[in-house]
Amino acid sequence: MVASTADPALDGVARRAIRDVFPLYLPTVPFALVLGVAMTESAMPTNIAWSTNIVFAGAAQLAMVTLAGTATWLTLVMTAVVINLRHVMYSAAMAHHFRDQPRWFRWVGPFVLIDQLFALTARRSDLDPPLWRRYYLSAGLFLLVTWVIGVTVGIAVGSAIPTEWRLDIAPAVMFGGLVVLGLTTRPMALAALTGAAVCFAGLGIPNNGGVLLGATAGVIVGFLADKASDRTASDRSATDRYGGAA
Amino acid sequence: MTTAAAIAAIVVVALITYVSRAGLIVFLADRSIPADVTRALRYVGPAVMSALTVNLLAGGQGISGVTGQEVAAVAVGGLVAWRTKNLILSLAAGMVTIWIIILVT
Repeated sequence: MVASTADPALDGVARRAIRDVFPLYLPTVPFALVLGVAMTESAMPTNIAWSTNIVFAGAAQLAMVTLAGTATWLTLVMTAVVINLRHVMYSAAMAHHFRDQPRWFRWVGPFVLIDQLFALTARRSDLDPPLWRRYYLSAGLFLLVTWVIGVTVGIAVGSAIPTEWRLDIAPAVMFGGLVVLGLTTRPMALAALTGAAVCFAGLGIPNNGGVLLGATAGVIVGFLADKASDRTASDRSATDRYGGAA
Repeated sequence: MTTAAAIAAIVVVALITYVSRAGLIVFLADRSIPADVTRALRYVGPAVMSALTVNLLAGGQGISGVTGQEVAAVAVGGLVAWRTKNLILSLAAGMVTIWIIILVT
């Protein structure tokens, strides 16, 4: 797919993409390993669990693999879909980068549009369309290939590590860390707290229904808190403007 | 869950995930989504991930499935993530916590 070219700018950009994506790639290594280990403990046969790689979304994959034993089909699918809803946001933010791209790339490119690639490429408006395409694909393919390798290594390692090491708890620790890293604003913290609290209260709901209930409640609370903080901010600036002198 | 059901679930999730990634790029490149929808989508991640963390702690056994040592591991992992902004350190701290608790008790 990546044809060799005489244009030195195009050749350089692939290397630069991989160098730039490296700091974002590093945290995916333990994630892939944890996922691989979880696959060996999943209710799904390991090779089927491995094929969740076609979803190429770590959190959703981990949810599917760990829920397989206890959730209904519908809860499992819904939970994974909800986790991946955030990609709609990325798709919206990236649409203008794809507008001047060839049709094949508009179809193929989104397949690898994961959090890390979005963070890396969304702001690269300095590259012209062919360079941007090469940059995006190089980083995206690098992330995809290393991800699948990491998961596969995790499966190999996972079946060798004794259960006393309690690697079964690693997915929960992983998710907890991801939540904390994602909290940049107060409404986000409120959304996360609500999601956790409502899910906890709803643990008795059959088929892991508490997850979707907690997610819904968390989104509503985060959304409302966001709206409220907008209002407070505009009130404050109004006070600054009109009452600041007093 | 049967193998066929698992495969069907993976295919359905893969398709919907692709559509959520590609939708606005391939099909609606010139349209934008309402600001309120974007605003709500921002909170999907934190809300569903924290709910999943709690659910994983319960391990499908309801509230009785939540054990002190597991909560401690997740709490330490969360604290380290908050202080260091580093996922690898967070995971390591959480796992070391549970190993220490198991060794001591």
